[in-house]
Amino acid sequence: MVRVYIDGKELKAQKGETILQVARREGIYIPTMCYLTKVKPIESCRLCVVEVEGVDGFVLSCQTPVVPDIKVTTNSPKLFEHRQNIMKLYDVNHPLECGVCDKSGECDLQNKTLEFGVNRQDFTAKDQYRPIQKWQYIQYDPSLCILCEKCVHVCNEVIGDDAIEVYFGGYKSHIVPKNADTLDCTFCGECIAVCPVGALISSDFKYSANVWELQRVPASCAHCSAACHLYYETKHTSITNPKPKIYRVKNEFEFATLCGAGRFGFDFENSASKDEAAFSRAVEAFQKADTIKFSSFITNEEALILQKLKEKFGYRLINDEARNYQQFLHNFAKYSGKSLYGADLQRVQKSDFIMVIGSFTSSDNPAVRYAYTVAHKRRKAEIINMHPIEDDLLKPIVTKFIKYEVGAEEAVLAMLLDALLDEESKQKVSKKWFEELDIGYLSAESSVGEEEIEDIIRRLERKKRLREDTFTLILGEDLYAHPRAENIAKLAGLIDRLSDFEVLLIPPKTNSLGVALICDLDEEAGEYSIGYNVQGDFTLSALGDGDLDMPALNQQEGTFTNIDKRVVPTNVALPYDGYVLNDIARALGVSEKEYTIEFTPELPEEKGYRAINFDDLPNQFLNDGTEERGYVLKSKKVNLSRKNIEPIAELPEFNGTVIYRCEPVLQFSPFSHKAHQLNWSSDLIGSEQFSVAAKLQDGDHVVIFSQFGKIYKQFRIDKKLKGTIALMGVSDMGMRFFDMQASYRYEKVKILKRDEL
Amino acid sequence: MSGLEQFRDRNVSQNYYKVKIEPYPKSGWEKFKRVVKRSLKLELFVGLKITLLEMIRFNIHTIQYPKEKLPIAPRYRAVHKLLRLLESGNERCIGCGLCEKICIANCIRIDTKVDEFGRKVPTEYTINFGRCIFCGYCAEVCPELAIVHGPDYENASEQRAHFALKEDMLTPLDKLKEQKEFPGFGAPTPAADRLIKKTPLAY
Repeated sequence: MVRVYIDGKELKAQKGETILQVARREGIYIPTMCYLTKVKPIESCRLCVVEVEGVDGFVLSCQTPVVPDIKVTTNSPKLFEHRQNIMKLYDVNHPLECGVCDKSGECDLQNKTLEFGVNRQDFTAKDQYRPIQKWQYIQYDPSLCILCEKCVHVCNEVIGDDAIEVYFGGYKSHIVPKNADTLDCTFCGECIAVCPVGALISSDFKYSANVWELQRVPASCAHCSAACHLYYETKHTSITNPKPKIYRVKNEFEFATLCGAGRFGFDFENSASKDEAAFSRAVEAFQKADTIKFSSFITNEEALILQKLKEKFGYRLINDEARNYQQFLHNFAKYSGKSLYGADLQRVQKSDFIMVIGSFTSSDNPAVRYAYTVAHKRRKAEIINMHPIEDDLLKPIVTKFIKYEVGAEEAVLAMLLDALLDEESKQKVSKKWFEELDIGYLSAESSVGEEEIEDIIRRLERKKRLREDTFTLILGEDLYAHPRAENIAKLAGLIDRLSDFEVLLIPPKTNSLGVALICDLDEEAGEYSIGYNVQGDFTLSALGDGDLDMPALNQQEGTFTNIDKRVVPTNVALPYDGYVLNDIARALGVSEKEYTIEFTPELPEEKGYRAINFDDLPNQFLNDGTEERGYVLKSKKVNLSRKNIEPIAELPEFNGTVIYRCEPVLQFSPFSHKAHQLNWSSDLIGSEQFSVAAKLQDGDHVVIFSQFGKIYKQFRIDKKLKGTIALMGVSDMGMRFFDMQASYRYEKVKILKRDEL
Repeated sequence: MSGLEQFRDRNVSQNYYKVKIEPYPKSGWEKFKRVVKRSLKLELFVGLKITLLEMIRFNIHTIQYPKEKLPIAPRYRAVHKLLRLLESGNERCIGCGLCEKICIANCIRIDTKVDEFGRKVPTEYTINFGRCIFCGYCAEVCPELAIVHGPDYENASEQRAHFALKEDMLTPLDKLKEQKEFPGFGAPTPAADRLIKKTPLAY
């Protein structure tokens, strides 16, 4: 800790913190145009200059670290004049179209032009022809661009797409897609979020509303388990239709990141009215039923209601996808000694060595991808990705890709465990088990070479020598439904306990972790089932195609338990007039509460939840970037299992046509698919090699005979994809999607062209 | 005495004087005498002489409302008009939403979209005249002089909250020639040309 003085105020600061960071943390204002907290200082605007006592000239506060007893002045007539001149330069030829600009009212250029009183213009420059660029979801107007480079840096340092760059040409400089004619990226839209002016905007939102008319609803994204913080911005639909509508989504881009599904897939709401007949049928169905099937796209409170229903009426709760995860977590805990996994995304960002196994991260959980991109860019972290399919999007980030055979996950983890543990730890586990381990056989069958494992260890040793020793192992959805998931979980638990790695188990769906903690899930369904967002004999659906409508997750208030083990609140963005699950619970005598959120303090404390009322849960970021959203679950100590881990089973064979269930980037579920900007169908995507082997042409309409029956898809060739496994997204299949989530993601199938049938 | 001193001086003598009035008639007889005197001296017609003369000459000064209407001062704030550009006939409104924002009665609403030329256009524009207080802020804030106060002040309608739609207020294309440049609220002053500073764009 060092002592610093800013504007005469005595402050404490960490070593290595910059002047701007200290000032921001303490709420002292220093104007900036290009500074973005989550990336390295860009230093293009020179507006953040300050005076430091004893130093000639100005100092850039964004990149200068504090030194003990430094005396900083943030404002003086000289500084004001300097900043005013910068603003004058920014204003040269900036089109006077604030009247129609989408950014007007929240524009940094507008604000600072007024702040520094630029009411005359002393400079001129000949204007250029700058046509507007249309890049699908994103639109770029170079004449509005001030070249702060925030977009370029966020794309490179946080997202990892590295899709845009600055075309340098003096006054002609502008942003261009990198090595391409048009923008080809994952369309996370983060460049739109960080743009301080109206240069990068959402094509869909363009000119549809002004910022001051929109009402901000702070919420959590409902698409994946990262449950990122976001704001839904709502306004009446039109003059003739007073019903509120979500116009766009914004995020706290200084500290947090949002993917494209969160940003563009916001209007998945369900509209319904109070249909009393359907409601009484639902209550009757509940009285008749012995099983409730449901998906993990629900809030913690709803999960608790289902659990209470089970406790009173003895329903069987069926959610196989969450049950797989629950079992995995349970077995993991017995061998790691902790009820929850240790790592979170903050830790991933600060890791020096990251291994990812069994997750197609760029589409499964983009927040994880962004987290390790940050680690790689900022700390030069090693990213080891192990998967049967190489993800082209991750190539610039992943330092080593190791391909293993489909189904070999157990063998891979066993080999890692063997390589990571020292003799003493091995002794502790079971000497016999390690002696029986036939590394040669496992290596041959999984096609992970022994030298590749040695290479991992070498890289690990190098990091240890540099004293960069934050290691994280990220495990994904592929493992939870693996036939040998139980043993895999135990191996992961041992790695967590006995090696330097902390483990992150990515919850497969939005609230899988919450469901796994709150509900006692059953294995076998009964005779008559209620389906909640799953096809049942009586179906409650937020997609609007069931027997009784339910509110979608942007119409509900409640909490999610996200990947960070954080209980995050979400709020009602759009009103819902129909019945909710609590109404059914009331009719059945299980709940006497008026609102679902009254269940929030009743979430099970033995699982780490706390008795805090919903309205007392914070949902914000502090000035210094601290995430104050809900609370983090406390991990409990678990007694270690005395049982030994099982020997590794013989590896299953996956020959022939194998497909991998994997949604395309921007899609997560039928809810993201329902949003009007993301309402495109997912194709079957294969490599050229796959197309030759399966005798398919690009654009063929095919029928896939899978364990879930016939699936109709169009086949597309992705030239960047390698290998013989095709990717199949099922988010466009409505209710059927939810039935497919509990099986192992790879499947041997038969594919026929539709015209051959 | 200067300034407010004169008002602080409470000690003023009052210069009232009394008007000479004939004493009021007291008895019935006296009242009768006054009526006879006033009637027979035809005092009434002295007063009516001018009126009668003008009546015979047919020199009538009354405005025959609603057939006739007086001209309205340019700054009078009556029912709004949406103007077009005189040269092209395009709508002046760019849909910036400032009128909607500034309206203190919260009675203006605009729907906007991107048109085929990539411009922002208002697809619908309404003012709820049941709420409008005709303060003139919208006309004053409008950067394009698109929304102005017209001279039509008759707000009688079957509905209390008469709802003005865009087509009610917008100058019809065939009446473009009759559209007058607006001199009232928010319009540039006659001296604007002289006062406006030129942007330095002389390269």
